[in-house]
Amino acid sequence: MDVWSSLMDGFATALTPLNFMYAVIGVILGTAVGVLPGLGPAMTVALLLPVTYALEPTSAFIMFAGIYYGGMYGGSTTSILLNTPGESSSVVTAIEGNKMAKAGRAAQALATAAIGSFVAGTIGTALLAVCAPIVVKFAVSLGAPSYFAIMILALLAVTAVLGSSRLRGFASLGLGLAIGLVGIDSVTGQRRLTFGQPLLADGLDIVVVAVAIFAVGEALWVAAHLRRTPLHAIPVGQPWMGKSDWKRSWKPWLRGTAFGFPFGALPAGGAEIPTFLSYVTEKRLSKHPEEFGKGAIEGVAGPEAANNAAAAGTLTPMLALGLPTNATAAVMLAAFTSYGIQPGPQLFSSQGPLVWALIASLFIGNFLLLIINLPLAPLWAKLLQLPRPYLYAGILFFATLGAYSVNLQAFDLMILLVLGALGFMMRRFGLPVLPLILGVILGPRIEGQLRKTLQLSAGDPAGLWSEPIAVVVYIIVAIILAWPFALKLIKRNRPGKKPLLPANSGAADYSD
Amino acid sequence: MTIVVGYVPTPEGEAALTQAIAEARKTDTTLLVINSSKGDALVDNRYAQDSEIQSIEDRLATQGIKHVIKQPVRGHDAAAEVLDAAEEHNAELIVIGLRRRTPVGKLIMGSVSQRILLEADCPVLAVKAG
Amino acid sequence: MSSLATSLKGRSELGVALLLGAAGVVVFLDANGLVTPYSKSDPVGPKTVPFIVAALLIVCAVMLAINVLRGGKGEAEGGEDVDLSHPADWKTVLPLAGAFVLNILLIDWAGWVISGTVLFWGSVLALGSRHYIRDGIISVALSLLTFYGFYLGLGIALPAGLLEGIL
Repeated sequence: MDVWSSLMDGFATALTPLNFMYAVIGVILGTAVGVLPGLGPAMTVALLLPVTYALEPTSAFIMFAGIYYGGMYGGSTTSILLNTPGESSSVVTAIEGNKMAKAGRAAQALATAAIGSFVAGTIGTALLAVCAPIVVKFAVSLGAPSYFAIMILALLAVTAVLGSSRLRGFASLGLGLAIGLVGIDSVTGQRRLTFGQPLLADGLDIVVVAVAIFAVGEALWVAAHLRRTPLHAIPVGQPWMGKSDWKRSWKPWLRGTAFGFPFGALPAGGAEIPTFLSYVTEKRLSKHPEEFGKGAIEGVAGPEAANNAAAAGTLTPMLALGLPTNATAAVMLAAFTSYGIQPGPQLFSSQGPLVWALIASLFIGNFLLLIINLPLAPLWAKLLQLPRPYLYAGILFFATLGAYSVNLQAFDLMILLVLGALGFMMRRFGLPVLPLILGVILGPRIEGQLRKTLQLSAGDPAGLWSEPIAVVVYIIVAIILAWPFALKLIKRNRPGKKPLLPANSGAADYSD
Repeated sequence: MTIVVGYVPTPEGEAALTQAIAEARKTDTTLLVINSSKGDALVDNRYAQDSEIQSIEDRLATQGIKHVIKQPVRGHDAAAEVLDAAEEHNAELIVIGLRRRTPVGKLIMGSVSQRILLEADCPVLAVKAG
Repeated sequence: MSSLATSLKGRSELGVALLLGAAGVVVFLDANGLVTPYSKSDPVGPKTVPFIVAALLIVCAVMLAINVLRGGKGEAEGGEDVDLSHPADWKTVLPLAGAFVLNILLIDWAGWVISGTVLFWGSVLALGSRHYIRDGIISVALSLLTFYGFYLGLGIALPAGLLEGIL
């Protein structure tokens, strides 16, 4: 079946009244929770996981699609109105967006963010629909050695490239891999790291791990460091844009999309680099460079589009290869697994209708976001005045409920608390949480591929590089790992030159 | 002796401040401006930002009025903060701004002004935004 | 920040290195205790990956310790509602954890409606709300609502506990 007819079938599934309703609920919940201070899209999906258990997978994923884009949009609303970006990907939006809002142009800033997100999300989803099957076609030809190599690449790339300290990234990865080891070894049936505790034999439920790290850890962390001085939210009416705003926005939207999608699709692309690139580009190309730093609409339009396009791009490796590259995708992957669905190349053949319904509902979710959120923006801004005790108590309450309802055993709540404390500690000492979650999810699968590979080669390690793709991937891995050291060498040979990378890049940790 | 004014960055709050300045000038007393927040939410639009406080500061200074501006964030509601300040500084007058409220709105939200009117030990001057 | 506070901060991060090292040793010992007859169909065996993970953890622990002693510092995570200018507020966090533990102890015996009420009410209290009665009503309502919502809407029967037969 070709892409077009599969997609139309997807729309047919997603547009049944019941599923459409789930999409609407998803968008509203996602935006509301995304606007609430301290709650990002990953936490939103994690908290809402249990709600979807009773739903059939298709409906659940349609809801997730709404939550995914909704949460993203909610985050940008707060960064514009409050200048407090909740995630690194909306830092750039806050620069110009908050200046615009302060200058009385909040309505236009929100409008260009919403419409830009819609444009980028729609183009990004279209690219996803086109690219994913191509990636799948390529991926089904790969054997275990290549898979092993690609997963190693994804793990190392996320660990080594994102975050401010590679060392702390690897520490987090190690913890994640260790958590992933808990349970019965699938090949030999031996118990690993269960400490004689029968409840650990099935391994730690990934939903419990995700809720612990993203919701409990975060809630405790925020509770320990509550902002003491209240902020002002800039009052906002109905978002709208004038003619000149449209004229200045549409090109940045498209350029932002072009930056965002490929970066999102790369194993460690993330949304930070493309939003930053988009900002710099718009500043250079703008006819009003003097407005930058004072509230230039291009500086909101471009990065917001880049952010959303990256979000769509992230779903390409997630669906086609089973490789999550950001926190939200990782939690969604956990949801797939809890339904017994294994993302990867086989997904498109075994669960075709589900995948295409998900892609179709991404289109629908995007559209809903626009028509629901433009009129509701003033209401969302009111959510920021919700008293904190209720907010964070609510997060703990629903996190507990969610983790408990997975298996109905109090033991899971103990795990929740222990891992929540771990999440707290990681935030305190600057260990990034993403490598941990990826380690938990990908660890067991990497081990599986490794054992399969060496089984095929009868124990000969050369089997690991028996496929050309694997060799290419290992070279990329080597470059990523060697990069900071190479940089250091270059710097040493050319003394007096300023470092090439800003202080917060991955290389910083080794240069001091 | 001092005059205590409960300030919020709204038309009612401005009206109260203007009235309080007039009173302070008449009797040449110190003006104590209270702008408080419970501090239990990320956003509180009744809590004045630094720029607003600065402009009040300038306004009072140019008019030559002895003044103290306080912004307590201690988890108490505005009525308690104003009453506390009045008691502590032995206030001769409290000035507050009144807002139009529907009976239902008052039932749900309670009323800061009402509590001040009932519990204050000194005269209370209630001003409406005009 | 005073030099004492700085050195204390540096020392507390050594705890992270210690935790990593301990985790590495545990993973190593656990894997070492596995008995694996050599099998042709599984040349890697269940031990190899745990050994690699243990090595990674221990290497990270050592490097982190060196990094911290040389003055390296992990950047605490910021956020919308996070103010890093004051130290961790344990007076909020510990009671929160307490409410959480109470819920764990109560949930199977007293049931979700009671334990959930305790959890929410305790958390709200820990976070500084002083509307005891209003909070209590909200807590009970929330617990009842989720209990029936999960039962009727999602088909998940949360434990009724002491209130078995009443609910």
